[in-house]
Amino acid sequence: AEYTLTISSWAPPTHGINAKMWPGLIKMIEDATDGRVTAEVKLGIAPPPAQMDLVQDGAADMSIIFHGYQAGRFVTTKLIELPGYEGSAEAASVAYWRVFEKYLSKANEHRGVKVIALHTHGPAQLHTNVKVTALDQIKGLKLRVPGGVGGDVGAALGATGIKVPAPKVYETLASKAADGVVIPMESRKGFRLVEVAPYVYRMPGGFYRGSFAMIMNEDAFAALPEDIRKALAEKVFGEPASRMLGKVWDEIDAIGLEETLKTPGNEIVDASAEDVAAYKPIADKIIAKVLDEVAAAGVDAKAAYAMIREEMAKAE
Amino acid sequence: MTEALIGFAAVLGLVLLRVPIAFAMGLVGMIGYAMETSMRGAVSMAGRLLIDTAQDYGLSVVPLFVLMGLFVNKGGLSRELYAVSHAFLGHRRGGLAMATIVACGGFSAICGSSLATAATMSKVAMPQMRRYGYADSLSTAAIAAGGTLGILIPPSVILVIYGLLTETSIGKLFIAGIVPGLMGVLFYLAAVAWTVRRNPAAGPAGERTDWRGRLAALRDVWAVLLLFFLVIGGLYGALDVWPLHLTFSPTEAAGMGATGAFLIALARGGLDLRGIFQTLRETADTTATLFAVLIGAWIFSNFVNIAGLPEALRAVVQENAVAPWMVIALILAVYLALGCVFESLSMLLLTVPIFFPLVTGLGYDPVWFGIIVVVVTEISLITPPVGLNVFILKGVVGDVSTATIFRGVTPFWVADILRLALLALVPAITLFLPESMGP
Amino acid sequence: MSAFLRLARLASLAPVAAACAALFALMLMTFADVLMRSALDDPIEAATELTRVFMAIIVFSSLPVVSARGDHISVDLLDPLFRGRARRVRDALVALACGAMLTWPAGQAWKLALRARSYGDVTEYLHIPQYLPAGFVSLMTWAAAAALIARGALLLLAPRALREEEPGA
Ligand code: NA
Ligand code: NA
Repeated sequence: AEYTLTISSWAPPTHGINAKMWPGLIKMIEDATDGRVTAEVKLGIAPPPAQMDLVQDGAADMSIIFHGYQAGRFVTTKLIELPGYEGSAEAASVAYWRVFEKYLSKANEHRGVKVIALHTHGPAQLHTNVKVTALDQIKGLKLRVPGGVGGDVGAALGATGIKVPAPKVYETLASKAADGVVIPMESRKGFRLVEVAPYVYRMPGGFYRGSFAMIMNEDAFAALPEDIRKALAEKVFGEPASRMLGKVWDEIDAIGLEETLKTPGNEIVDASAEDVAAYKPIADKIIAKVLDEVAAAGVDAKAAYAMIREEMAKAE
Repeated sequence: MTEALIGFAAVLGLVLLRVPIAFAMGLVGMIGYAMETSMRGAVSMAGRLLIDTAQDYGLSVVPLFVLMGLFVNKGGLSRELYAVSHAFLGHRRGGLAMATIVACGGFSAICGSSLATAATMSKVAMPQMRRYGYADSLSTAAIAAGGTLGILIPPSVILVIYGLLTETSIGKLFIAGIVPGLMGVLFYLAAVAWTVRRNPAAGPAGERTDWRGRLAALRDVWAVLLLFFLVIGGLYGALDVWPLHLTFSPTEAAGMGATGAFLIALARGGLDLRGIFQTLRETADTTATLFAVLIGAWIFSNFVNIAGLPEALRAVVQENAVAPWMVIALILAVYLALGCVFESLSMLLLTVPIFFPLVTGLGYDPVWFGIIVVVVTEISLITPPVGLNVFILKGVVGDVSTATIFRGVTPFWVADILRLALLALVPAITLFLPESMGP
Repeated sequence: MSAFLRLARLASLAPVAAACAALFALMLMTFADVLMRSALDDPIEAATELTRVFMAIIVFSSLPVVSARGDHISVDLLDPLFRGRARRVRDALVALACGAMLTWPAGQAWKLALRARSYGDVTEYLHIPQYLPAGFVSLMTWAAAAALIARGALLLLAPRALREEEPGA
C-alpha cells in the first residue's frame, strides 16, 4: 500500500473491537481505495482517556474513544446512551451518525480531531455474582458502572458505584470488589464475565448504551491525495463505517449470549412486566436530566432525541 | 526491526555511560517514536504517559508494597523468624544455614524485595553462624541465595512491575510464585546439605532445642503468619468467610499489608514519629524512581511496538521454523548472560517489551513466563561479576571477600539452574495454583 | 554556594511533607475502604479518584528531590573505568542532558493540562478538574529538570558543595 495509517487501540487483543471492528474498518478502507491505503493496529500505547490527545497530536493516525471515560468533555454524546431505545446496535449507530450530522456536531465536542464513525454497543444489562431476579434487589449492590448515563442509572437504582475501566472488570469481579457490572452481553465473552458473573438480569432495551467514536488525525487525512479523500468520505467514513461497527456489536452480543447459554451455571432472568413498568419512571427522570444537559450544550435536545427514536423505528 | 534493534543498542550504550535507565529508555523511545510518527506526536505521547502513569489506579500497589516491606523491617519480625527456624533445624549439620534459608523464605512472604530480605536476614543470621564456627563461604552464600526468594515468594515488587508492564493479573502472578518459591527453599536446603557433606567443617551442628523451646519460638511468629495470611489469603479468596468476607484486589492487599505491618511495628515500639516519617519518605522516594523507570520503559516499548519489532521477531521465528521450545531456551540463555552483569530491575525493564510479545505470540502463558523471568532475575542477583545480593552481604559483613561469597554461592546457583529447567519444562508446577483461583 | 544549597533543601521540605502525607492517607484510605466494603457493604465511592490524586502527589512531589540527589536507578557497571575527574565530568554531562531532555515532556504536559481545561475535563464523582493534577505533574517535572541541570552545573563548577551534601559520595 502507498499509505499505511497507524491505529492506536485498547481493550484486550481478542475483544471484538480489535478482532473484528478494526479489521472491518481496514477492509472498508482498502476496498474503497483499491488497496492504496491500509492501516495497522497497535495496542497499549496509552490508556483509554489518552487516545484523543494521541490522535490530535499525531502520535497515532486513528483511534477509538469511549466518551464516558472523559467526564466533562462529552455531553451531547450522552443522548445515544439513554435507556429505552428499542432496536439493534446497528440501527442505533446509524441513527447516531445521522443525528450527529444534523444536531450534535454543532456542540463541536470532538474539536481537534476528525470523527470518522460513531457507534454504540448493544443494550447494557446487569451481570452479577449474586442472583438478581427483581429490580429492587439492585439497591445496595456494588456495581461497576462507566461514566456517562451508565453512572446515572446505577445511582438512580441505589447501587454503589465502583469505578474501574472495562478491561479491569474481570479482576474486580473475581476479587469480589464489586457484585456486578452493567455492560452489554458481548462482554460475557469479551471480558470473560461467564466466569465471574454467572447471573444476567435483562431489561428490554437495556439500562443504557455506551457511546464510542472512531477518530482520525486531521493532518493525516489532509495529507492523503484528493481522490483518496473523496473515496473515503463517500464509501467509508460516516454512515457506512458506523453501520458496520454497530453490526459488529450486534454480532458479538449474539456470541456473548451463546456463550452464556452454553456455560453451566450461567443464568438469564428477564425483568418482569412490573419491573419494566417500575423502571420507566426512573429512566424518564434520567432522560429528562440528560436532555437538559444536552440543551445546555447548545443543541436542540428534544428534536435530536425525537430524531433518534424515529430513525431507529424506521430501521426496524 | 532494524530501527528497534539500533534503539536497543543505543539504550544499552547510554545505560553503560551511567545515564539513569528511565532517561535512557525515555530518550531513545521518544526519538525512535518521533522517527516513526512525528516529533509532536512522540513528545505528546510521552507527556500523556507522565500524566496518566502518575494517576494509574493499578500502580498504587507499588508504594503500598514498598511501604509494607519497610514497616516489616521496623517491626523486628526477622529475628523471630530466625529464632523459630533455628529451634527446629539448629541441631543438624549445616542446620544454622538451613534455618537461614527457611527464615529467608518466611521473610520473603511478607517482604517484596530480595535486597531487603538479604540485608535484613544478614543482620540476624550472620552473627549466629559465626558464633557456631560456620565457614564464611557457606553462611554468606546461604543468606545471599535465600534472600533472592524475596521477589518470587509473594508479595513481590518485581512481579508487580512485570504484571503492570504486561497487563498480566498481579493476583495470579503472586499465587503462581508460591510453589516455585517453596521449591526454591527445598533446593537451597539440598545445596546446604551437599555443601556440608563435602566439607563437614563448614557447618558444624548447633545445640538441640527441646519441644518446649520450639513451641515458645513458634508462638512468637504470629505476626508474620498474620500478615502473610492477610495479604495472600485475601488475594486468593481464602478469607472470604463470615463475617468479614475479606477479598482483595492486589492494590487492596498491599494497603491492608502496609497498615498491618504499620500497626505491628507500632505495637512493638519499633516506630516513633521520626521513624514513621523516615519510612514514608523512603517509600515515596523509591516510588518516584520506580515510576520514572516505568514511564521510561513504557515510552521505549511504544517505540518497539510501533517499529514493528514483535511482529518481525515472530516472522523470523516462523520463517526459520525455529521450534518454540528453542526460542524459550534461547531467551533463557540471553537472560542468564545479561544477568551476570545487569541489575534485576534494569534487566526486566530492558527485555520484557521485546520478549513478552514474542513468547505470548508463540502461545505460552504470560503468568508462567512471568515466573520464569523472575527466577532468572533471582539468579542474576548471585552470579558474578555483578551480584547485588552478594554485594549486600559484603556490605553488611565487611571482612569477607566477594570472591569467597561467590565461591560459596556456586551450589546454590546449580540448584537454581535445576529449578529453572524444571519450571521451564513443566509449566503445570507454576500454573496449577493460579488456575485453581476464582470461580 | 552553600547558602544556595540550604535554600534548595528548605524548598524541598514542602513537597517531601506532601508526599509523606499523601502516602499515609493512601494507606489508611485503602484500609478503610476494604473494611467498609467487607463489613458494612459500603465502600468509599471516591476512593479510586482520591487514589489517583494521592499517587500523583507521592510520585511527582518526590521526583525533583530524587533527581537533585542523583538517586535515579542506574547501572554502575563501567564505573571502574571512570575515576576522579572523568567520573565527575561524566556525571555532570549526564545530569545536564537528562535535565534538558525532561523539558520536552514537561512542556507538553503543560499544554495537555491547558487543553484538558479548555475541554472542561473533570473526574467522575468529585468533579475535580483534570487540569489540576496534569498541571501539577508538569510543574514538578519542570522542577525535576531544573534540579538535574543545577546538579550538573554544580558537579562541573563547585563539586565540593555537592560532596558536603552527600556524605556517601
Ligand atoms: Na516476597
Ligand atoms: Na549477576
